[in-house]
Amino acid sequence: MTWTMAQRQRLALENQILQNEGFTQFGVFHHPADDTYSAGGTATTSVGRNYHVFCMIPPSYPTQRPSLYITDPNPLLNFNGVAISRLGVSHAMHTLEPNTLGWVQICHWRADRWHAGIVLQKVFLKAMLWLEAYEQHLATGRDLADFVRTMQEAA
Amino acid sequence: MSDQRSMIRDAMQAIAQRKPGKSKLVYDKTKRTIVAVSEGVPTPQALNITADDADMFGVVTLSSGWLRDKWSSLTKAGSLPVGFSSWDDGDALTQLELCIQGSGTHAAATLVLGQQQGQASEGIVISIVPTDKPTHRSDVFVSPDNIAYRGELIEPAGPAANPRDVVFADIEPQLDLRRAGILETTVLKDRTVLCIGLGTGGALVAVELAKSGVGHFILVDRDRLSVGNVVRHPGGISQVGRTKVNVTRNLILEKNPGAQVEVHVMDVGFENRDVLAGLVQASDLVICGTDNRQSKLLINELCVSADKPAVYGGAFRRAYGGQILRVRPKQSPCQQCFVSSLPDEASDVEVSSQDDADAIAYSDRPVAVEPGLSLDVLPIATQLAKLAMLELLADKSSTLNVLKRDFDAPWYLWLNRPEPGTQYADMPPLSESRDEMTINRWYGIYFERDEQCPVCGDFLSGLAAAYGLDSTQLPALPEKE
Ligand SMILES: [Zn+2]
Repeated sequence: MTWTMAQRQRLALENQILQNEGFTQFGVFHHPADDTYSAGGTATTSVGRNYHVFCMIPPSYPTQRPSLYITDPNPLLNFNGVAISRLGVSHAMHTLEPNTLGWVQICHWRADRWHAGIVLQKVFLKAMLWLEAYEQHLATGRDLADFVRTMQEAA
Repeated sequence: MSDQRSMIRDAMQAIAQRKPGKSKLVYDKTKRTIVAVSEGVPTPQALNITADDADMFGVVTLSSGWLRDKWSSLTKAGSLPVGFSSWDDGDALTQLELCIQGSGTHAAATLVLGQQQGQASEGIVISIVPTDKPTHRSDVFVSPDNIAYRGELIEPAGPAANPRDVVFADIEPQLDLRRAGILETTVLKDRTVLCIGLGTGGALVAVELAKSGVGHFILVDRDRLSVGNVVRHPGGISQVGRTKVNVTRNLILEKNPGAQVEVHVMDVGFENRDVLAGLVQASDLVICGTDNRQSKLLINELCVSADKPAVYGGAFRRAYGGQILRVRPKQSPCQQCFVSSLPDEASDVEVSSQDDADAIAYSDRPVAVEPGLSLDVLPIATQLAKLAMLELLADKSSTLNVLKRDFDAPWYLWLNRPEPGTQYADMPPLSESRDEMTINRWYGIYFERDEQCPVCGDFLSGLAAAYGLDSTQLPALPEKE
């Protein structure tokens, strides 16, 4: 994989936006060993719990949508104590295909709604919203979709 | 008697070709039979016979190109075997070399130079004999040494049993002639069109472009033709199970046998990005008929970076209407500009297959497959083909040039019906409207290119400015193992 200059510049800019706009718990990272990029960090919800979110920057970013996972805790359990990753693609939980390690994939933008104009700052903001909805789900047992109904539509 | 018979034959060919002949056919009311009379001879007691009344003889069609290639072998050996596809119980015999798709029934024949000598051999014999008929006729073949010949059929059962004309098909000149009046150029022959997505719309567009004389096609689609596709797709029941690229390839060759058609059975996804980029680079125009956003945005990015014009077309759900976006990179809005400025319009797509449905569904919330009628997809395909033609002709002079004034908007909208639940539900009836939108009209719509588009504009400076950053002075990214 060779990254174009425009891609590298964009990722540097995206990181600076995260740092300047109060998303310092997140960052964009370069992995020199194999010249790949990732983004992620530890999000803290309003009830004080920590979740680690992570995404590999895909080679056709930003045209290609990045997949965002919750890597810790793992497994991530639902209200009934079932691993959410076992639910697969779920509208009720606003999740997409989990990865092979069992990480839950958050539905930030569906692939059919994603476009290159969306920045990582907004992706992480969606992740924070998802985690707040997840906390509500744990507290009430209601579907996550009840709390983030408009997530896929919002631009 | 035989003179009357050849006059009848001449008259019938003249009628069939809609050309004036030396003689015409009439029904002689007193004799109660059909006769041929010389043009200009008054026939008060007769009924004129028109093309619609005339029934053709059976026809044997030979390939002029093949015969020119084989001419030296024929003159050396005196005869050559030739194979035919036999159609409609032998009513039409078409040389296999002309057939893109054969009838399944073959007929063997022998081509003999000069009159058949001695005993007639087994099967059909076609004698190629010199003629003094004018060379523009379809029953005359001009050999490489510039002598005019006609074909004479000798069948084992005798000449009267199954009268047939021998005609010569010289494909390229005959097809070019029909197109010449309107296009006044053969520039399309050298143009390469990359057709991505060969569903109903994509396949229809490809075939229309083949008819217009486009000479090079690259076809990309991953699907096979299913029985359910047949009610919409130009491919038919006989083709079920074949890949859509191969079905479309044959349809193209049926209309333009000289076309070069390259096929790729491939998903239009990021995993095939490099291959797709190569195909875009090799083409003059890209036609994208896929109906999911990711593939359109991927193709858009590749086309903008390769500076290739592209036309995107699609139907809305259940084909209540459709839209076309034409992108001239950096001159008109691109697909990304479209998605950013008109997100709702950009995402209203027809869900015509289970794969499409799955792509936009959660597994616990299925999306119904709701394809539209072929009739409702056709107007979108024809308009798309016309826009594609204008791009391909570019600065070449043609009768179509006058359309450039009409088709200068980037976005085209068409409505087949006032679909309930859409903003078009309350449109006035077609017969009553003067100024408001109605069904069955094309609307060319202007919108601005986004100067800060992430694909075709300078997104980074715009973004940096929006956040008060200097994009040229950014610190290096933190590194991780
Ligand atoms: Zn653009």
